[in-house]
Amino acid sequence: MKDGNALFEVQNIGKSFGATRALDSVSVEFKAGELLAVVGANGAGKSTLIKIICGYHADYEGKILVEGKEVHFHTPKAAYENGIATVHQIINEGVVPSMTVFENLTLAKLLSPELPLFYDKDKLRDEARQIATTMGLEIDLEKTVSDLSQSERQMIAIARALANKPKLLILDEPTSSLSEREAGRLFAMLGRLKEMGVSILYVSHRLHEINQLADRVIVIRDGKMAKTLHRPFLVKDMVTAMVGEIPKHSALAERDRELKETNLQLELRELVVAEGIPPLNLKIRKGEILGLTGLIGAGKTELAQVLFGIKQPVSGEIRLSGKVVNPRTIYEAVRAGIFYVPEDRAENAVIPLFNIRQNMTLPFLGIFEKIGIVSTKAEKVKVKSMIKSMGIKCEGTESEISSLSGGNQQKVVVARWLLEKYNLVIFDEPFQGVDIRSRHDIGEYVRENIGDKAAIIIATDIDELIEIADRIVVMNKGVIVGEQEYEKINRDELLHLVAQETNENTYKESIK
Amino acid sequence: MSSYIDQDKMIQSKSEFFKRFAIRYGFLIVMAMLFAFFSWWNPVFLRPVNLFSILLGATIYAILALGVTFPLVIDGLDLSIGSVAALSVMISAYVMVVLDASGVLAILVCLALGAGIGAINGFLIVRVKIPDLLATLGMMFLVQGVQLIPSGGRSIGRGAVLAGGVVAPGRFSDYFLFLGQGRIFGIVPTAVAIMIAVAIVVFVVLSLTRWGRVFYAIGSNAEAARLVGAKVDTYRVMAYVISGTVAALGGIVLAARVGRGDVSSGGTLLMDAIGSALIGFAVLGVRRPNPFGTIVGAIFISMLMNGLSMMNMPYYVQDFVKGSVLVAALAFTFGLSKGRT
Repeated sequence: MKDGNALFEVQNIGKSFGATRALDSVSVEFKAGELLAVVGANGAGKSTLIKIICGYHADYEGKILVEGKEVHFHTPKAAYENGIATVHQIINEGVVPSMTVFENLTLAKLLSPELPLFYDKDKLRDEARQIATTMGLEIDLEKTVSDLSQSERQMIAIARALANKPKLLILDEPTSSLSEREAGRLFAMLGRLKEMGVSILYVSHRLHEINQLADRVIVIRDGKMAKTLHRPFLVKDMVTAMVGEIPKHSALAERDRELKETNLQLELRELVVAEGIPPLNLKIRKGEILGLTGLIGAGKTELAQVLFGIKQPVSGEIRLSGKVVNPRTIYEAVRAGIFYVPEDRAENAVIPLFNIRQNMTLPFLGIFEKIGIVSTKAEKVKVKSMIKSMGIKCEGTESEISSLSGGNQQKVVVARWLLEKYNLVIFDEPFQGVDIRSRHDIGEYVRENIGDKAAIIIATDIDELIEIADRIVVMNKGVIVGEQEYEKINRDELLHLVAQETNENTYKESIK
Repeated sequence: MSSYIDQDKMIQSKSEFFKRFAIRYGFLIVMAMLFAFFSWWNPVFLRPVNLFSILLGATIYAILALGVTFPLVIDGLDLSIGSVAALSVMISAYVMVVLDASGVLAILVCLALGAGIGAINGFLIVRVKIPDLLATLGMMFLVQGVQLIPSGGRSIGRGAVLAGGVVAPGRFSDYFLFLGQGRIFGIVPTAVAIMIAVAIVVFVVLSLTRWGRVFYAIGSNAEAARLVGAKVDTYRVMAYVISGTVAALGGIVLAARVGRGDVSSGGTLLMDAIGSALIGFAVLGVRRPNPFGTIVGAIFISMLMNGLSMMNMPYYVQDFVKGSVLVAALAFTFGLSKGRT
């Protein structure tokens, strides 16, 4: 199979949505055993391209060729039957959480009308086992998927997509909710697939990954092919082709550090987040943006939940500008000026029924109130200025939130917490599926407006933190195991701290 | 994902325009056509007296529907409203006729009972975590039983003979009856005025205040609402308290209209009220509970029943037509505007 001939080809593909030209004359060849990465800013047209290839948009310009023959997919099913399998960004759309691993792996069989009413469960189980072995899945097949981690679910979703032995596998942001180590397992699997001659189309905002994985990179910008890159790549080239030059952020060091050195905005003293976990001590200076990283389950989100009053700490103190706050409810936390942008915006932040304005003003409707009535006019003024200063791409304040791209939706739910003055703002995985330009926009806005307050940014992806944080703190199994200042960031060392098996309270001792 | 669906939405073709027009005004057009049809069939339909009777016919369940809008907004449902209204009828009669107490006291007792039942509903749903449908269904049966207890299963009218053979001493007070039978300045029926007042209050609360915004936010994504600091549980309990209180108010107006405590009152109130609120989703194609739509829905049902009666349709056909209209209206709004979620 590995002869380098084009398995699939798209020629001069184009698509318009009304007056918007989403994709314009894009031609790509997919070769057997090759991993082709597509990168581009939010709304550049990556998803449109994928959706045309996988049969979601039946109405497009140009040609799709399968092994030299022209085809036209009218449904996703037709594409699937022609050997194109797609794993979409939202993992839980790819698995059935209430079923077992075995049932998930054989779902296509289970749902097929040819399956007899009383089917041979053991035979199916054998099949599932076989799939699992080929894929290198080390998961108990009898476990229910809802008990599994995100990465395991992701693996199952991919394994399911592979059940039909596809020739082209499309992965849309497969690592957006995986930790570095989990992603590593996924990459190993992709390597095996390449050896089997599968062509892989890989979409991601994580350029580091692409640098590590891809055989070829296509950059899409404003619906057009901006550049094709071959190995060896430079991440810088990709970024420039995607969005143009992006300036490095000015770290705290270059700003007025003296004042901030001495003054603490947040201090955690012997804070015990949950039973059985050693107490945390952490200091954040005024005007500092702290990056917090670690694997999933390292205790980052739990810490944020305690700070935001969602969970109660076992013991210890949370001090804001020297005063103990310890919020007991979310309401109290907000009153104390502690704001929290939760992870997973679709689940926890976006109100789908509301437009941009209503989504943005939700936490602080009080400031727009006149004699008990919310003034839409006042809201619009404020929201308009936020849209402008955060660079939210939209038609206006009254557009549906769902009409925005993921990155712009994220900007809206971030903006909602920047309407009022905060003492501490916590962003939990704010950059999931957000491109580097939007990340930069959000980061710059926070940086410019932080004043003498403090921000915590939680992310599993260290590169995202390097882009924005003044200092990066690593958590591992509920314990703070290390930290680095922006000027002295050593990526490999951080990764080591993130992944190591913790047994060391040495670091904790050393900072005391 | 959704952004692409929405780009699809941006296609500005003619068919798209008609579709949107149909979603927005389709229901009102159908209603206008029906109105024209009934007027043509029988000119009596158009007489002011009849038009007022359509409006009056709608008031009771329109009031209930306005109350149940709150549970609907938070993505819940309250099935106990019909029996709460019926309880209100019995209790107001009991307080005034049997206990010979004042109408004001009767009103206060009824409203308090309605609020209390709503609070229990809210407690069962929020704390005990019984699904809203089941909790309020259970409450519906419970309240249906309770309303029969004070009078021993008998209706209470003026001079009713009580269990011990005693004749009830009291009667419905005049100002109480005014709520159901009177006219303000001799023109607007009080019941209609009450309905309009409730509608205005519901509209102001839901559409103009912070609370309304939070109610809608909870209905759309409760977790997100919780994470911006909204006291979601309190709001949810409040939704049921409001719905129970307003249902009790509906019962008071009904009692005032019939002037006696009838055990069989409130039979079809639940379905008519919920039907009105659901038809309200279709009015203007907003696909969410809204007071304006609810009122229009209630008037629509009343007009339909009135018109069909004039055509001498038997009552069992009327129920069938009512149900069909409800299903059609819902299929219309939700089916045509699928892409919007």
